[in-house]
Amino acid sequence: MEKTRISSIQLFMLLSGFLFGSTVILAPAAGAKKDAWLAMIIGGAGGGLLMLVYAAIASLNPSKTLVDILREKMGYVIGNILAVLYIWYFIHLASLVFRDFGEFICTVTFPETPITVVIGFFALAFVYGVNGGVEVMGRMSELLVPVVPVVAFIISLSLITVSDFTAFLPILENGMPPVLNAAFSYITFPFGETVAFLMLFPHLNRKEKLKKTVIVSAIAATVLSIIIFFRDISVLGSELMSRATFISHLTALLFPGFNVDPLLDINLLIGGGVKSAVCVYAATRALSQVAGIEDFSKLTSAVTTFCVVLSVWEYNNVLEILDWTEKVWPYYAIPFQIIIPLVLLFLSLWRKNKPSKVKA
Amino acid sequence: MLTVLAVFIILIIYDLQKFIRKKEPVRVFVLYFFFMAAGFTVSLLLAAGKRPYSPSQMIEAVFKMIGIVK
Repeated sequence: MEKTRISSIQLFMLLSGFLFGSTVILAPAAGAKKDAWLAMIIGGAGGGLLMLVYAAIASLNPSKTLVDILREKMGYVIGNILAVLYIWYFIHLASLVFRDFGEFICTVTFPETPITVVIGFFALAFVYGVNGGVEVMGRMSELLVPVVPVVAFIISLSLITVSDFTAFLPILENGMPPVLNAAFSYITFPFGETVAFLMLFPHLNRKEKLKKTVIVSAIAATVLSIIIFFRDISVLGSELMSRATFISHLTALLFPGFNVDPLLDINLLIGGGVKSAVCVYAATRALSQVAGIEDFSKLTSAVTTFCVVLSVWEYNNVLEILDWTEKVWPYYAIPFQIIIPLVLLFLSLWRKNKPSKVKA
Repeated sequence: MLTVLAVFIILIIYDLQKFIRKKEPVRVFVLYFFFMAAGFTVSLLLAAGKRPYSPSQMIEAVFKMIGIVK
Protein backbone atom coordinates (compact mmCIF):
# COMPACT_ATOMS: atom_id res chain seq x y z
CA MET A 1 0.00 0.00 0.00
CA GLU A 2 1.05 3.60 -0.58
CA LYS A 3 2.95 4.74 2.55
CA THR A 4 1.87 8.38 2.42
CA ARG A 5 -0.11 9.96 5.26
CA ILE A 6 -2.50 12.91 5.47
CA SER A 7 -3.50 14.93 8.52
CA SER A 8 -7.07 15.30 9.74
CA ILE A 9 -7.08 18.92 8.50
CA GLN A 10 -6.09 17.78 5.02
CA LEU A 11 -8.79 15.11 5.09
CA PHE A 12 -11.31 17.72 6.25
CA MET A 13 -10.32 19.97 3.34
CA LEU A 14 -10.49 17.10 0.87
CA LEU A 15 -13.93 16.08 2.17
CA SER A 16 -15.22 19.66 2.19
CA GLY A 17 -13.87 20.33 -1.32
CA PHE A 18 -15.46 17.11 -2.49
CA LEU A 19 -18.82 18.01 -0.91
CA PHE A 20 -18.74 21.57 -2.30
CA GLY A 21 -17.72 20.15 -5.72
CA SER A 22 -20.50 20.47 -8.24
CA THR A 23 -22.94 21.76 -5.58
CA VAL A 24 -21.26 25.14 -5.99
CA ILE A 25 -23.02 25.54 -9.35
CA LEU A 26 -25.79 22.93 -9.36
CA ALA A 27 -28.29 23.57 -6.59
CA PRO A 28 -28.82 20.39 -4.62
CA ALA A 29 -32.31 19.70 -3.27
CA ALA A 30 -33.73 22.14 -5.85
CA GLY A 31 -36.79 19.87 -6.24
CA ALA A 32 -38.15 21.18 -2.94
CA LYS A 33 -38.15 24.76 -4.33
CA LYS A 34 -38.82 27.19 -1.43
CA ASP A 35 -38.37 24.43 1.15
CA ALA A 36 -34.95 23.34 -0.14
CA TRP A 37 -33.36 24.63 3.08
CA LEU A 38 -35.51 22.17 5.05
CA ALA A 39 -34.53 19.38 2.66
CA MET A 40 -30.88 20.35 3.12
CA ILE A 41 -31.16 20.15 6.92
CA ILE A 42 -32.84 16.71 6.76
CA GLY A 43 -30.56 15.53 3.94
CA GLY A 44 -27.50 16.94 5.69
CA ALA A 45 -28.36 14.98 8.87
CA GLY A 46 -28.92 11.82 6.81
CA GLY A 47 -25.78 12.46 4.79
CA GLY A 48 -23.76 12.99 7.95
CA LEU A 49 -25.01 9.64 9.28
CA LEU A 50 -24.12 7.96 5.99
CA MET A 51 -20.63 9.42 6.14
CA LEU A 52 -20.36 8.14 9.71
CA VAL A 53 -21.18 4.67 8.36
CA TYR A 54 -18.23 4.96 5.97
CA ALA A 55 -16.01 6.21 8.79
CA ALA A 56 -17.14 3.31 11.01
CA ILE A 57 -16.28 0.82 8.23
CA ALA A 58 -12.83 2.39 7.93
CA SER A 59 -12.34 2.39 11.73
CA LEU A 60 -13.36 -1.27 12.04
CA ASN A 61 -10.96 -2.17 9.21
CA PRO A 62 -7.91 -0.02 9.90
CA SER A 63 -5.31 0.38 7.13
CA LYS A 64 -7.60 -1.35 4.62
CA THR A 65 -9.01 0.18 1.47
CA LEU A 66 -12.49 -0.50 0.09
CA VAL A 67 -11.10 -3.25 -2.17
CA ASP A 68 -9.38 -4.99 0.76
CA ILE A 69 -12.55 -4.76 2.86
CA LEU A 70 -14.75 -6.07 0.03
CA ARG A 71 -12.40 -9.01 -0.55
CA GLU A 72 -12.15 -9.82 3.13
CA LYS A 73 -15.85 -9.57 3.98
CA MET A 74 -17.46 -10.84 0.76
CA GLY A 75 -14.89 -13.37 -0.36
CA TYR A 76 -12.26 -13.02 -3.10
CA VAL A 77 -14.51 -13.54 -6.15
CA ILE A 78 -17.59 -11.54 -5.08
CA GLY A 79 -15.31 -8.93 -3.51
CA ASN A 80 -13.45 -8.46 -6.78
CA ILE A 81 -16.69 -8.27 -8.79
CA LEU A 82 -18.02 -5.59 -6.44
CA ALA A 83 -14.66 -3.80 -6.60
CA VAL A 84 -14.91 -3.69 -10.42
CA LEU A 85 -18.44 -2.25 -10.10
CA TYR A 86 -17.09 0.40 -7.72
CA ILE A 87 -14.30 1.20 -10.19
CA TRP A 88 -16.98 1.82 -12.82
CA TYR A 89 -18.97 3.93 -10.36
CA PHE A 90 -15.96 6.13 -9.54
CA ILE A 91 -15.12 6.56 -13.24
CA HIS A 92 -18.74 7.45 -13.98
CA LEU A 93 -18.83 9.93 -11.11
CA ALA A 94 -15.60 11.58 -12.28
CA SER A 95 -17.01 11.89 -15.80
CA LEU A 96 -20.17 13.53 -14.44
CA VAL A 97 -18.08 16.08 -12.54
CA PHE A 98 -16.04 16.76 -15.69
CA ARG A 99 -19.20 17.31 -17.66
CA ASP A 100 -20.74 19.64 -15.04
CA PHE A 101 -17.55 21.66 -15.09
CA GLY A 102 -17.34 21.69 -18.89
CA GLU A 103 -21.00 22.64 -19.32
CA PHE A 104 -20.72 25.52 -16.89
CA ILE A 105 -17.54 26.92 -18.43
CA CYS A 106 -18.79 26.49 -22.00
CA THR A 107 -22.20 28.01 -21.24
CA VAL A 108 -21.06 30.90 -19.10
CA THR A 109 -17.38 31.76 -19.49
CA PHE A 110 -16.05 30.42 -22.81
CA PRO A 111 -19.08 29.90 -25.08
CA GLU A 112 -16.91 29.61 -28.22
CA THR A 113 -14.57 26.93 -26.86
CA PRO A 114 -15.43 23.24 -27.52
CA ILE A 115 -16.34 21.35 -24.36
CA THR A 116 -13.75 18.63 -25.09
CA VAL A 117 -10.94 21.20 -24.99
CA VAL A 118 -12.16 22.67 -21.67
CA ILE A 119 -12.55 19.26 -20.01
CA GLY A 120 -9.28 17.99 -21.53
CA PHE A 121 -7.19 20.84 -20.13
CA PHE A 122 -8.98 20.61 -16.78
CA ALA A 123 -8.12 16.90 -16.62
CA LEU A 124 -4.54 17.48 -17.72
CA ALA A 125 -4.00 19.94 -14.87
CA PHE A 126 -5.13 17.69 -12.05
CA VAL A 127 -3.65 14.41 -13.36
CA TYR A 128 -0.35 15.75 -12.00
CA GLY A 129 -1.94 16.10 -8.57
CA VAL A 130 -3.41 12.59 -8.66
CA ASN A 131 -0.11 11.11 -9.82
CA GLY A 132 1.56 12.78 -6.84
CA GLY A 133 -0.63 10.66 -4.55
CA VAL A 134 -2.93 11.35 -1.65
CA GLU A 135 -0.40 13.56 0.15
CA VAL A 136 -0.16 16.00 -2.75
CA MET A 137 -3.95 16.03 -3.10
CA GLY A 138 -4.25 16.73 0.64
CA ARG A 139 -1.80 19.63 0.52
CA MET A 140 -3.42 21.07 -2.59
CA SER A 141 -6.83 21.02 -0.96
CA GLU A 142 -5.43 22.47 2.27
CA LEU A 143 -4.24 25.43 0.23
CA LEU A 144 -7.18 25.90 -2.13
CA VAL A 145 -10.42 24.72 -0.49
CA PRO A 146 -10.59 27.60 2.07
CA VAL A 147 -11.07 29.93 -0.92
CA VAL A 148 -14.48 28.35 -1.66
CA PRO A 149 -16.41 29.54 1.46
CA VAL A 150 -14.62 32.91 1.34
CA VAL A 151 -15.86 33.52 -2.21
CA ALA A 152 -19.36 32.33 -1.30
CA PHE A 153 -19.45 34.72 1.70
CA ILE A 154 -18.13 37.66 -0.37
CA ILE A 155 -20.88 37.21 -2.97
CA SER A 156 -23.56 36.64 -0.31
CA LEU A 157 -22.64 39.73 1.71
CA SER A 158 -22.34 41.94 -1.37
CA LEU A 159 -25.87 41.09 -2.46
CA ILE A 160 -27.43 41.85 0.89
CA THR A 161 -28.87 45.15 -0.40
CA VAL A 162 -30.88 43.47 -3.20
CA SER A 163 -32.25 40.67 -1.03
CA ASP A 164 -35.83 39.85 -0.11
CA PHE A 165 -35.58 37.87 3.11
CA THR A 166 -39.19 36.67 2.99
CA ALA A 167 -38.77 34.93 -0.39
CA PHE A 168 -38.59 31.47 1.17
CA LEU A 169 -42.02 31.83 2.78
CA PRO A 170 -44.54 30.16 3.11
CA ILE A 171 -42.93 27.11 4.61
CA LEU A 172 -44.13 23.68 3.42
CA GLU A 173 -46.46 25.15 0.80
CA ASN A 174 -46.54 21.82 -1.10
CA GLY A 175 -46.40 19.58 1.94
CA MET A 176 -43.70 17.21 3.11
CA PRO A 177 -43.26 14.74 0.17
CA PRO A 178 -41.22 17.09 -2.13
CA VAL A 179 -39.02 17.98 0.84
CA LEU A 180 -38.36 14.33 1.65
CA ASN A 181 -37.64 13.52 -2.02
CA ALA A 182 -35.20 16.41 -2.24
CA ALA A 183 -33.63 15.40 1.10
CA PHE A 184 -33.03 11.91 -0.28
CA SER A 185 -31.47 13.38 -3.44
CA TYR A 186 -29.29 15.56 -1.23
CA ILE A 187 -28.08 12.48 0.66
CA THR A 188 -27.02 10.72 -2.56
CA PHE A 189 -25.60 13.91 -4.10
CA PRO A 190 -23.14 14.85 -2.63
CA PHE A 191 -22.91 12.98 0.70
CA GLY A 192 -23.23 9.41 -0.53
CA GLU A 193 -20.56 10.05 -3.14
CA THR A 194 -18.00 10.27 -0.33
CA VAL A 195 -17.95 6.47 -0.42
CA ALA A 196 -14.91 7.09 -2.66
CA PHE A 197 -13.09 8.19 0.49
CA LEU A 198 -13.00 4.58 1.67
CA MET A 199 -9.95 4.42 -0.64
CA LEU A 200 -8.39 7.43 1.18
CA PHE A 201 -9.31 6.92 4.84
CA PRO A 202 -6.46 4.39 5.43
CA HIS A 203 -3.99 7.23 4.79
CA LEU A 204 -5.20 9.32 7.75
CA ASN A 205 -2.34 9.65 10.25
CA ARG A 206 -4.56 9.86 13.35
CA LYS A 207 -7.37 7.35 12.98
CA GLU A 208 -9.13 8.43 16.19
CA LYS A 209 -9.99 11.76 14.56
CA LEU A 210 -11.72 10.20 11.54
CA LYS A 211 -15.33 10.37 12.78
CA LYS A 212 -14.96 13.90 14.10
CA THR A 213 -13.43 15.06 10.80
CA VAL A 214 -16.21 13.45 8.80
CA ILE A 215 -18.98 15.01 10.91
CA VAL A 216 -17.43 18.48 10.90
CA SER A 217 -17.05 18.42 7.10
CA ALA A 218 -20.67 17.25 6.67
CA ILE A 219 -21.88 20.11 8.91
CA ALA A 220 -19.68 22.64 7.08
CA ALA A 221 -20.96 21.53 3.66
CA THR A 222 -24.61 21.64 4.80
CA VAL A 223 -24.26 25.07 6.39
CA LEU A 224 -22.57 26.49 3.29
CA SER A 225 -25.24 24.98 1.01
CA ILE A 226 -28.00 26.51 3.16
CA ILE A 227 -26.30 29.92 3.12
CA ILE A 228 -25.95 29.73 -0.68
CA PHE A 229 -29.61 28.69 -0.98
CA PHE A 230 -30.85 31.61 1.15
CA ARG A 231 -28.64 33.99 -0.83
CA ASP A 232 -29.99 32.71 -4.15
CA ILE A 233 -33.67 32.62 -3.19
CA SER A 234 -33.60 36.02 -1.51
CA VAL A 235 -31.98 37.58 -4.57
CA LEU A 236 -33.73 35.72 -7.41
CA GLY A 237 -37.03 34.60 -5.87
CA SER A 238 -38.33 31.04 -6.04
CA GLU A 239 -39.88 31.31 -9.54
CA LEU A 240 -36.72 32.43 -11.30
CA MET A 241 -34.65 30.06 -9.21
CA SER A 242 -36.71 27.04 -10.25
CA ARG A 243 -36.29 27.97 -13.94
CA ALA A 244 -32.56 28.74 -13.89
CA THR A 245 -29.97 26.15 -14.93
CA PHE A 246 -26.93 27.63 -13.18
CA ILE A 247 -28.48 29.46 -10.23
CA SER A 248 -25.24 30.74 -8.71
CA HIS A 249 -24.23 32.24 -12.05
CA LEU A 250 -27.51 34.11 -12.30
CA THR A 251 -27.06 35.42 -8.77
CA ALA A 252 -23.50 36.52 -9.48
CA LEU A 253 -24.74 38.55 -12.46
CA LEU A 254 -26.67 40.78 -10.03
CA PHE A 255 -23.49 41.76 -8.26
CA PRO A 256 -23.46 45.58 -8.41
CA GLY A 257 -20.59 47.22 -10.30
CA PHE A 258 -18.60 44.41 -11.83
CA ASN A 259 -18.61 40.81 -13.00
CA VAL A 260 -17.85 38.25 -10.27
CA ASP A 261 -18.44 35.21 -12.45
CA PRO A 262 -14.71 34.33 -12.47
CA LEU A 263 -15.00 33.83 -8.70
CA LEU A 264 -17.62 31.16 -9.34
CA ASP A 265 -15.31 29.62 -11.95
CA ILE A 266 -12.55 29.48 -9.33
CA ASN A 267 -14.91 27.81 -6.86
CA LEU A 268 -15.92 25.25 -9.43
CA LEU A 269 -12.32 24.69 -10.47
CA ILE A 270 -11.36 23.99 -6.86
CA GLY A 271 -14.43 21.99 -5.83
CA GLY A 272 -14.71 20.12 -9.13
CA GLY A 273 -10.96 19.57 -9.20
CA VAL A 274 -10.92 18.01 -5.72
CA LYS A 275 -13.96 15.89 -6.48
CA SER A 276 -12.77 14.53 -9.81
CA ALA A 277 -9.24 14.03 -8.44
CA VAL A 278 -10.60 11.96 -5.55
CA CYS A 279 -12.78 9.91 -7.92
CA VAL A 280 -9.96 9.25 -10.39
CA TYR A 281 -7.60 8.44 -7.51
CA ALA A 282 -10.15 6.02 -6.00
CA ALA A 283 -10.79 4.37 -9.40
CA THR A 284 -7.12 3.93 -10.29
CA ARG A 285 -6.14 2.76 -6.79
CA ALA A 286 -8.97 0.22 -6.80
CA LEU A 287 -8.10 -0.87 -10.33
CA SER A 288 -4.42 -1.34 -9.50
CA GLN A 289 -5.36 -3.32 -6.38
CA VAL A 290 -7.73 -5.59 -8.29
CA ALA A 291 -5.15 -6.16 -11.04
CA GLY A 292 -2.28 -6.54 -8.57
CA ILE A 293 -0.32 -3.56 -9.87
CA GLU A 294 1.88 -1.90 -7.30
CA ASP A 295 1.95 1.66 -8.63
CA PHE A 296 -1.49 3.09 -9.36
CA SER A 297 -0.08 6.13 -11.21
CA LYS A 298 0.66 3.97 -14.28
CA LEU A 299 -3.05 3.86 -15.02
CA THR A 300 -3.99 7.42 -14.11
CA SER A 301 -3.64 8.92 -17.58
CA ALA A 302 -5.56 6.06 -19.26
CA VAL A 303 -8.41 6.22 -16.74
CA THR A 304 -8.57 10.02 -16.93
CA THR A 305 -8.60 9.94 -20.75
CA PHE A 306 -11.48 7.49 -20.62
CA CYS A 307 -13.31 9.72 -18.09
CA VAL A 308 -12.94 12.72 -20.43
CA VAL A 309 -14.31 10.74 -23.39
CA LEU A 310 -17.12 9.33 -21.24
CA SER A 311 -18.08 12.80 -20.04
CA VAL A 312 -18.56 13.98 -23.63
CA TRP A 313 -20.25 10.74 -24.72
CA GLU A 314 -22.77 10.50 -21.86
CA TYR A 315 -25.18 13.34 -22.60
CA ASN A 316 -26.18 15.56 -25.48
CA ASN A 317 -26.79 18.73 -23.45
CA VAL A 318 -27.00 20.19 -19.97
CA LEU A 319 -30.75 19.60 -19.65
CA GLU A 320 -30.21 15.89 -20.25
CA ILE A 321 -27.62 15.86 -17.43
CA LEU A 322 -29.93 17.64 -15.00
CA ASP A 323 -32.84 15.35 -15.90
CA TRP A 324 -30.71 12.20 -15.51
CA THR A 325 -29.16 13.41 -12.26
CA GLU A 326 -32.57 14.15 -10.80
CA LYS A 327 -34.47 11.07 -12.00
CA VAL A 328 -31.98 8.21 -12.32
CA TRP A 329 -28.92 9.06 -10.23
CA PRO A 330 -30.48 8.64 -6.73
CA TYR A 331 -31.64 5.09 -7.55
CA TYR A 332 -28.48 4.17 -9.45
CA ALA A 333 -26.40 5.31 -6.49
CA ILE A 334 -28.33 3.39 -3.78
CA PRO A 335 -26.40 0.07 -4.06
CA PHE A 336 -23.00 1.78 -4.13
CA GLN A 337 -23.69 4.40 -1.50
CA ILE A 338 -26.08 2.73 0.91
CA ILE A 339 -26.69 -1.03 0.45
CA ILE A 340 -23.11 -2.34 0.01
CA PRO A 341 -21.62 -0.07 2.72
CA LEU A 342 -24.36 -1.10 5.19
CA VAL A 343 -23.66 -4.78 4.44
CA LEU A 344 -19.94 -4.13 4.95
CA LEU A 345 -20.62 -2.36 8.25
CA PHE A 346 -22.83 -5.22 9.42
CA LEU A 347 -20.22 -7.82 8.44
CA SER A 348 -17.43 -5.79 10.08
CA LEU A 349 -19.38 -5.49 13.33
CA TRP A 350 -20.39 -9.15 13.21
CA ARG A 351 -16.80 -10.36 12.71
CA LYS A 352 -15.61 -8.01 15.44
CA ASN A 353 -18.12 -9.27 18.01
CA LYS A 354 -17.71 -12.93 17.03
CA PRO A 355 -15.26 -14.58 19.46
CA SER A 356 -12.22 -15.94 17.65
CA LYS A 357 -11.38 -19.65 17.75
CA VAL A 358 -8.08 -18.99 19.53
CA LYS A 359 -9.85 -17.27 22.44
CA ALA A 360 -12.46 -20.01 22.66
CA MET B 1 -10.83 12.78 -36.57
CA LEU B 2 -7.18 13.58 -37.23
CA THR B 3 -7.09 15.69 -34.05
CA VAL B 4 -8.47 12.78 -32.03
CA LEU B 5 -5.88 10.46 -33.58
CA ALA B 6 -3.06 12.91 -32.89
CA VAL B 7 -4.08 13.42 -29.24
CA PHE B 8 -4.26 9.69 -28.55
CA ILE B 9 -0.94 9.00 -30.32
CA ILE B 10 0.81 11.69 -28.27
CA LEU B 11 -0.68 10.37 -25.00
CA ILE B 12 0.23 6.75 -25.80
CA ILE B 13 3.78 7.54 -26.91
CA TYR B 14 4.33 9.65 -23.80
CA ASP B 15 3.21 6.84 -21.46
CA LEU B 16 4.57 3.92 -23.46
CA GLN B 17 8.18 5.09 -23.33
CA LYS B 18 7.94 5.20 -19.52
CA PHE B 19 6.39 1.73 -19.38
CA ILE B 20 9.08 0.20 -21.64
CA ARG B 21 11.90 1.92 -19.77
CA LYS B 22 10.66 0.65 -16.41
CA LYS B 23 9.79 -2.81 -17.82
CA GLU B 24 6.21 -2.77 -16.55
CA PRO B 25 4.33 -6.08 -16.30
CA VAL B 26 1.93 -7.15 -19.06
CA ARG B 27 -1.08 -6.36 -16.84
CA VAL B 28 -0.24 -2.67 -16.96
CA PHE B 29 -0.10 -2.73 -20.77
CA VAL B 30 -3.37 -4.68 -21.01
CA LEU B 31 -5.30 -2.34 -18.72
CA TYR B 32 -3.74 0.76 -20.23
CA PHE B 33 -4.61 -0.24 -23.78
CA PHE B 34 -8.10 -1.37 -22.74
CA PHE B 35 -8.99 2.11 -21.48
CA MET B 36 -7.18 3.88 -24.29
CA ALA B 37 -8.78 1.71 -26.97
CA ALA B 38 -12.24 2.21 -25.45
CA GLY B 39 -11.70 5.96 -25.28
CA PHE B 40 -10.27 6.11 -28.79
CA THR B 41 -13.12 4.11 -30.36
CA VAL B 42 -15.80 6.24 -28.72
CA SER B 43 -13.93 9.44 -29.63
CA LEU B 44 -13.75 8.42 -33.29
CA LEU B 45 -17.45 7.60 -33.34
CA LEU B 46 -18.29 10.92 -31.68
CA ALA B 47 -16.05 12.78 -34.13
CA ALA B 48 -17.80 10.99 -37.00
CA GLY B 49 -21.16 12.16 -35.64
CA LYS B 50 -22.29 8.60 -34.81
CA ARG B 51 -22.84 8.81 -31.07
CA PRO B 52 -23.20 5.31 -29.64
CA TYR B 53 -25.77 4.41 -26.99
CA SER B 54 -24.23 5.80 -23.78
CA PRO B 55 -23.94 3.97 -20.42
CA SER B 56 -26.31 6.49 -18.82
CA GLN B 57 -28.96 5.74 -21.43
CA MET B 58 -28.47 2.01 -20.84
CA ILE B 59 -28.81 2.45 -17.06
CA GLU B 60 -31.94 4.55 -17.55
CA ALA B 61 -33.39 1.95 -19.95
CA VAL B 62 -32.77 -0.82 -17.41
CA PHE B 63 -34.43 1.21 -14.63
CA LYS B 64 -37.40 1.93 -16.86
CA MET B 65 -37.69 -1.76 -17.71
CA ILE B 66 -37.70 -2.68 -14.00
CA GLY B 67 -40.18 0.10 -13.27
CA ILE B 68 -38.02 2.15 -10.89
CA VAL B 69 -38.02 5.18 -13.19
CA LYS B 70 -41.11 6.21 -15.17
